[in-house]
Amino acid sequence: MKFWGIRFVSIIIAIVACLALQAFEGGRSDYEQRIIVLIGLYITLAVSLNLINGITGQFSIGHAAFYQVGAYLTGFLTVTYFAKQPIHNLGAWLILMMVVGALGAAIAGLIVGLPSLRLRGDYLAIVTLGFGEIIRIIVQNQRILGGSYGMNVAPKYKSIALVWMLAIFCIAVCRNLLKTAHGLPFLAVREDEVASSAMGVNVTRVKVTAFLLGSAFAGAAGALLAHFEGFITPTTFGMDVSFIILTMVVLGGTGSITGSVVAAALLSYLPEYLRGLKGPDGQALQIAGYNVVAWLIAVGVAVALIRWAINNYHGPKAKKYGLYVGAFLVGFVVRYVTSFGLKFIPGLAAKLIPVDQVRMLIFAVALIVIMLLRPQGIFAHHEFSWSWVRRLFTRRPVPQTAVSA
Amino acid sequence: MTIALHLVAGVEFNTLPQQLVNGVLLGAIYALIALGYTMVYGVLRLINFAHGEVYMLGAYVALFTSYFLGFRPDQYPTGSTVANLLIMLLASMVVCSLVGVAIERFAYRPMRGHSRIASLITAIGVSLLLQYGGALFLPTSPPPSISEKVNPYYGQSKTFALAKPSPALAQEAEKLRPATESAKASYQAWLSTHPDANEFELPADGKALKTTAQDTERKYQDAKHKLDTGGVNLIIQTGQAVMLIATVVLMGILTYLVLFTKAGRAMRAVAHAFDSAALMGVNVNSIVTFTFVLGSALAGAGAMMTATFLGTPLSTFYGLAPGVKAFVAAVLGGIGNIPGAVLGGLLMGLAENTVVWLGYSNYRDAIAFIVLIIVLLFKPGGLMGSSKVEKV
Repeated sequence: MKFWGIRFVSIIIAIVACLALQAFEGGRSDYEQRIIVLIGLYITLAVSLNLINGITGQFSIGHAAFYQVGAYLTGFLTVTYFAKQPIHNLGAWLILMMVVGALGAAIAGLIVGLPSLRLRGDYLAIVTLGFGEIIRIIVQNQRILGGSYGMNVAPKYKSIALVWMLAIFCIAVCRNLLKTAHGLPFLAVREDEVASSAMGVNVTRVKVTAFLLGSAFAGAAGALLAHFEGFITPTTFGMDVSFIILTMVVLGGTGSITGSVVAAALLSYLPEYLRGLKGPDGQALQIAGYNVVAWLIAVGVAVALIRWAINNYHGPKAKKYGLYVGAFLVGFVVRYVTSFGLKFIPGLAAKLIPVDQVRMLIFAVALIVIMLLRPQGIFAHHEFSWSWVRRLFTRRPVPQTAVSA
Repeated sequence: MTIALHLVAGVEFNTLPQQLVNGVLLGAIYALIALGYTMVYGVLRLINFAHGEVYMLGAYVALFTSYFLGFRPDQYPTGSTVANLLIMLLASMVVCSLVGVAIERFAYRPMRGHSRIASLITAIGVSLLLQYGGALFLPTSPPPSISEKVNPYYGQSKTFALAKPSPALAQEAEKLRPATESAKASYQAWLSTHPDANEFELPADGKALKTTAQDTERKYQDAKHKLDTGGVNLIIQTGQAVMLIATVVLMGILTYLVLFTKAGRAMRAVAHAFDSAALMGVNVNSIVTFTFVLGSALAGAGAMMTATFLGTPLSTFYGLAPGVKAFVAAVLGGIGNIPGAVLGGLLMGLAENTVVWLGYSNYRDAIAFIVLIIVLLFKPGGLMGSSKVEKV
C-alpha cells in the first residue's frame, strides 16, 4: 500500500508542478517560454536517446529523424483534419497528437530497428545516421509537407505543462526500467550481447523494444515542438540536431539518466545564454578571432596536462585534484599569453565573431574533451538518489578495523 | 508496375552514355576519398569521420594557393599553366597530410585503448570542430570558388558522336526550313514597309504575318531540337579527363607504396593483426602516421581537383556529402579493402548519376545511404570484403 501511495503522490506532485510552471510562465515573455519548452523537449530527446545508446548500448546517432517524423506527421494531421473533426479542444487534440506522433515515430523506429539488428557498433551508427538523412531528404521533396520551405502548423498551441509532463514521464519510464527486473536484459545486452543471448535474453526483443520506446518519446516531443513553434522546416531536424542530442547523452554519461537530464538542460540553455550576452556597447557580444584560437590552445594544453596527471600520478586523491586545478590555472595563463601573441596576426585580430556563433564549436570541443578525459561521461553510470543527498549531510561512520584499533 | 512505367516515362536513353561517363569521373573522386577511409579503418578499425573535413581543408588550401599564384577574384590574370595546377595539388596534399597526422596524434591516438565507440565519438567531435570552427575563420560568404582561369583546360572539350540521329529527323527539319525562312522574310518585309508599326499592337495583316512567322519558327526549332538530341553525343571536358588521369596515376602510386615498399608491407601487417605486428617489431605508431599521410594526401588531391576542375563554391561543409558518399563507397567495396574502395567509389558515382538520369536528382544524396543500408543488410562485409563471425 505504501508503494502505491508514494507512486500516486509523486504523480500528483509532478502534474501539479508542471501546471504551476505553466501558470507561472504563462504571463512571461515568449522568449523565456521558448527556452523552458526547448529545455523540456531536449531532456525528453536526450533521455530517450540514452535509453537506446546508454542503457541498451546500441549506438544510434540519427535521433532527430524520429523527432522529425513526430513533428511532420502530427503537423500534417492538424493542418488537414483539426477543423473537420469533433474534438474542438486544442489541448485534448494535442494529447491525441502526441500519442499519434509517438506511434508514427515508433513505427519508424521499428523500420530502423528491425534491419539494424544484424549490425553493431559503428556500422549501426552509420545506418541510423543514414536513415535520418533519408527521412529528411524524403520530407524535403514532398510538396504536401511544404518541401524545403517548411510547413505552417495551424492552429498552434503552447503548452509548457505538456512538454514537462512528457519529460517527466520519459524520465520515469527509463528510471523504472532501470530499477526493475524489466531493465536487466537491456543492461545485459549493453554489457555483452553474445553472453546475454547465451543466458537466455531475447536480444532481438530487447533491441527492438529500446528502439520503439526511444523513438516513440522522440516522436511525441516532435508533436509538441510542431504545435509550439507553429512552423517546421527539414533543417530543424538536420544532422546537427542529432549530434547535439548525442553530445548531451555522451557528456552526461552514457547510461545515466541524471547525466542526460543535466547535460540536456545545460546544453540547450547554453546557446540562449550566449545569445543573451551583451557587449559594453549594448549590442550582442562579439569575441575577437585571436581569443577563440587562444581559448582552443588553452583547452588543449589543460587537457594534455590533466591527461598526464591521470596517467602518471598515483599519489593521494587530494594532491591529484590539486594537479587538476593547477592544469586549469596553467590553461588560463596560456590563454592570456597566447592571446597576447596572436593579437599581432592581422587576420585574427580584425576578425570579430558574434558569441552565439561559437555554440557548435563549444559542443565539438566538449565532445572531444570529455572523450579524452572521462570517456564514461560526467556522471558515468551514477544516478541521482535521495540517499546520496542524505549522505552529504550526515557524518559517515568511520570504518573500524582491527588494524586501526 | 506503375512505378516502373513512371520510372521509364521521363527517361531519355540517349543521355545515358554521358551520365555514365560523368558517373565514372565522379566515382574516381569518390574512390580517391574512399581510399583514405578504408586504409584508416583497415589499420585502426576506426571510422575516420573527420576525413571529409580534411578534404574540405584541402579545397581551401587549393583556393589560397591559387590566390597566392595570382588568381584572386579581384585580379584579371591572363593565362595559366600546368605548373600552377601542380603547385596547388602539391600544397593541398602536403597540408592535408599534416592535418591528418595532427588529428591522429592529438585526437585518435589517446583514444586507442578505449572502446571503438569512444573513438567514434571523438571522430565526430573532430569533424564538428573543423566544420564549425572552420566556419568562423575561413571565408564562407559569399562562397568562394577557385577562379576558372587557373585551369588551363577551361572550356576545352571534345565531343564524340556515338550515334548519328536518324536521317528522317534531318529530312523533317530540312523540309520545314524554307517555309520558316519565307515566313520570316515576308514579316520582315512587311515591317520595313510599315516603319512606324508598334510590334505589340500590329494591325490585323501584320499580326497574321507575325503569328505565321512565329509558328513556323517554333515548329522548325522543335524539329531541330529533336535532330540535335536524336543522336548520342558524348562530351568530355579536357579538365575532367586530366582529373581522371591524375586520379589513376595517384592510385598507381598508392598501389606501389602499399604492395612493393617496406612501409607498405608493414601497413598490411598492422591491418592484418595490430598487436602481432607490434610484437614482430613493426613500429605501429609510425605506420599509423604513414597511413594517415597517404589517406589525407589522397583526399587533398581529390579536393584540389574537384574544386579546380568543377569550380564548386566552397564552404566548410564542402566535405560533408563527398565524405559520406566516399565512406559508403568504402563500405560497399568492403571496408579495409583497397581495390574494394576503388570499385565501391566507381559504383557510387554510377549509382548517383543513374538517379540523376532517371530524373530524381533531388534524391541524389539519399541514394548513398539507401545503397549503404542495402549492402549492410545483405552483404555486411561489402562486395570484396569478408564478414567475420563474432566470437566471445
